Amino acid sequence: MNHKVLISLTVLLMTLAVTAAPQEMQFDVERFQLDNGMTFLVVERPTAPVFSGFMIVGVGSAYEKTGNIGSAHLLEHMMFKGSRLVGTTDWNAEQDLWAKQDSVWARIERARQESRYIALNHPEKLAKHLVYIASLETVLDSLNAAGSEYVIQNEFDRIYTRNGAAQFNATTGYDFTRYYVSLPANRLELWFLMESDRFKYPAMREFFAERDVVAEERRLSVENNSDSKLFEQLIGTAFIAHPYQIFWEWRSEVNNLTRGDLMNFFRTYYIPQNTTAVIVGDVKLNDVKKLAVKYFGDIPSPPDPEPIHTEEIEQNGEKRVELYFESSPAVYISYHKTAFDSPDEPAFQVIERLIGAGRTSRLYKSLVLEKQLCVDVSVDVFPGNTMGDIYPGVLNIYAYPREGVTTAAVEAAVYDELERLAAVPVDPEELTKIKNNIDADMIWASYNNMGLAYYLGSAQALAHDWTYLYRLRDNLKAVTPEDIMRVAGEYLVEQNRTVATLIPLTEGEENE
Amino acid sequence: MNRTIILLGLLLISIAAFAQQSPRDMQFAPLKFDPVEPTRFVTENGITVFFIEDHQLPVVTMKAHFKGGDIYDPSDKIGLAELTAKILRTGGAGQRTPDQVDFDLEFVGASVGSGSSEHSFDLSLRTLKKDIDLGMEILADIILEPKFDTAKVNLEKSVTKDQIRRQNDDPGDLTRRVFYQTVYGSHPYGQYPTLKSIDNITRSDLASCHKKYFSPDNCIMAVSGDLTEKELKELLREYFSNWKKTGIALPIMNEAVTSYKPGVYYVAKDINQANIRFGHLLMTDDNPDHYAFEIMNFALGGGGFSSRMTSQVRTTAGLAYSVGCYPLFRPLMGVHFSFCQTKAESMSQALRMMFDVINDVRSNGISAEEMDLAKESIINGYIFNFDTPASLVDAYAVNELRGFPADKIKTDLEKYRAVTLDKCNQVAKYYLNTENIVIVVTGDKELFDKPLNTFGQVNEVSLEIE
Repeated sequence: MNHKVLISLTVLLMTLAVTAAPQEMQFDVERFQLDNGMTFLVVERPTAPVFSGFMIVGVGSAYEKTGNIGSAHLLEHMMFKGSRLVGTTDWNAEQDLWAKQDSVWARIERARQESRYIALNHPEKLAKHLVYIASLETVLDSLNAAGSEYVIQNEFDRIYTRNGAAQFNATTGYDFTRYYVSLPANRLELWFLMESDRFKYPAMREFFAERDVVAEERRLSVENNSDSKLFEQLIGTAFIAHPYQIFWEWRSEVNNLTRGDLMNFFRTYYIPQNTTAVIVGDVKLNDVKKLAVKYFGDIPSPPDPEPIHTEEIEQNGEKRVELYFESSPAVYISYHKTAFDSPDEPAFQVIERLIGAGRTSRLYKSLVLEKQLCVDVSVDVFPGNTMGDIYPGVLNIYAYPREGVTTAAVEAAVYDELERLAAVPVDPEELTKIKNNIDADMIWASYNNMGLAYYLGSAQALAHDWTYLYRLRDNLKAVTPEDIMRVAGEYLVEQNRTVATLIPLTEGEENE
Repeated sequence: MNRTIILLGLLLISIAAFAQQSPRDMQFAPLKFDPVEPTRFVTENGITVFFIEDHQLPVVTMKAHFKGGDIYDPSDKIGLAELTAKILRTGGAGQRTPDQVDFDLEFVGASVGSGSSEHSFDLSLRTLKKDIDLGMEILADIILEPKFDTAKVNLEKSVTKDQIRRQNDDPGDLTRRVFYQTVYGSHPYGQYPTLKSIDNITRSDLASCHKKYFSPDNCIMAVSGDLTEKELKELLREYFSNWKKTGIALPIMNEAVTSYKPGVYYVAKDINQANIRFGHLLMTDDNPDHYAFEIMNFALGGGGFSSRMTSQVRTTAGLAYSVGCYPLFRPLMGVHFSFCQTKAESMSQALRMMFDVINDVRSNGISAEEMDLAKESIINGYIFNFDTPASLVDAYAVNELRGFPADKIKTDLEKYRAVTLDKCNQVAKYYLNTENIVIVVTGDKELFDKPLNTFGQVNEVSLEIE
């Protein structure tokens, strides 16, 4: 008893200390915009003779439609194939060759469609038709092989690599696509030349092989991975209308994408006013400004792309889905939530931390440490952009039951915790903990160049103003126990819930 | 208005300049690699400390390394070091209950981590400067006065056992584990915890494991951040001066030798991809050949898109998203491994292609251009291994822990520069191998394009969890 009082007292003193001396991060950022609307953020940080370059484009897989699903991701892959200046010995000859390949592909696609009806109405002609398709495929293969005459393979990668690049990659999300690389400080102009050329003249070379690579990536990341397979079911069930429903592009779509699909996507969305570049490191603002104008200034700005109008339809009852797979049991639980600019969003972000951040979070404490129902439990938001999502996403809980514990028992324990959120005001010290962590996380976010570039670029791309991150911090700190009860009571309820359960398929059993 | 004119002017210049400028021709002065050198001192009770003062952000990072680790686990208690490290962090420390440790740290957004690797225990602290006293106190309590709370010991043991029960779920993890178990055989590097070995571990085993290795003269600390040397020394005095030397004598461990039966190790799993990993033992991490091997391997399969394996299997053939090969240099014998995930129907095609790439380099070597690219990439990118104060100071600590010379971080660059093409091709010939190797393939053999025995004698791996 005494012990407990003592602890509370210590905590109280610490709370006072923290409140008395808030340590809030301020970032020293210079922002400028080119006439074409492209935004640059620059942080001069001469600690080490290196810099990080980060580009974020306001488009992701949510902007795809049936028929071009996978465009955002495959385009991101193609952006590594080089450009007009990089990766080719003859840019013009390549264009001609690609046109030939594309017209053969169009014939293959048409012929494959026809084969269904030939099989139905003229089965005697099917064999001959299949030979015809095979001959077209052979033609395409030889046209693809002919491409190697002009291709300097992987030169884009090789130039960066030779110059010592680190953290060289890209990611395709739902709302955004991001391109990263860190280089020695004296390579600033190289970055501008390489990035601007691929943002002006993306090269669709080695297209058909890369399409296969992206299909293979799905096999690896989704079809052979129990977590992703279950997640695909969860998200696909939670959303009926909104494009967030597609966790990962399907192979049937990827396998039929064309260069035209990608170029349309590129021309619509990869435009200056939809792009932010962030440079953090041992650079000078004036150099960055000059180079930005020189390399990106001549890109025209077409009309703004249309936003996504589709809204998710209201959910009026729990949805459940099961997956049989050769893996251990798991249960994923999802609740529809708010977009980043909703007044309820700050409370949601506090709830996410309250139930899911760290060993003292409510779910970990209750399910793993106290009731010992789970090996692990975690919480996140989907799509889960830093600082929020453009359209309303979902809050997800992922639980992995202990041996012999049913998913039903795990679910019940999760729901108990969520109901408590709506029924009992959160302890002030728990709220103080979260607010302290918000400050600490902001400081750590800037610990390395790429981390800071990512953080600032994300804020700019999301809110069209990087200083939004200060406003968000203030809003998060203003969240009250009543806000949490209200938001939990409104959203974290049975009618708004989707549950996906993985049921182990033991060896030899067949999934019907 | 004026600005527009200037912009326009610049634009014209840039267009004019564009015609001839190609990034492949851009030249840059070599970058001087001249990182700060950490301060090194030894406390009265024998802790070796490396320190970099850095006031850019109000934060402090610390890492305490101890010689010891997984390879010293008794053969019937595999997992002891790992479990000890976990419970140091979660089992309570000093006056604090396990929950209080968690709460006090998370309340201020600080974190303490604890883990074991083959050759060490590593404890880390990340905190804002203002909470350094709290962080140091907890870190010191964990090192000096861990409580091994009985309930937490039981919980960690049973959670670890549940994780073992789940160890075959992910095809990638599964393939990796089977590869190391097979290639290292009975050597400690090839040992993984089992349900039984975890059952065998008692609370007193954990306490004596801690006692054995956690002596100040076995501790090397790396500290960086918003502190002065004086402040750091005062903190160390306050929280660590009661820590008495107990001395430490690590048993001599043997190097791993090749003991496996070469061939295919097939792991049956109902999935549509083949997960492939193959390779063999290589060299120890102090072998001077490793510089040339690393450069040669960069061209072979370690340099991502700039390597032959990725170019052929991924870029040209479109058979895999992830493919490559790497050397792993370890004190008691490293390995060379190649990996690939491809659709089950192209298993043999991809595997054959990878073998061909290796055999070609073994017989004909790499080209001078390939070597130059690899060297430039490693040399120009070297700085990124040390681009934050925390990574730089820790590199010095880890270096000393391993017993390498203090200036290795700087002299390594010269060693890479000095590698010749002859040397690259000599190590390729000497070390690369596609015959007497372990090939692990996880997947559904019914779907493979060729039977597995095309690649050697097939052994089915049992997935029974014991």
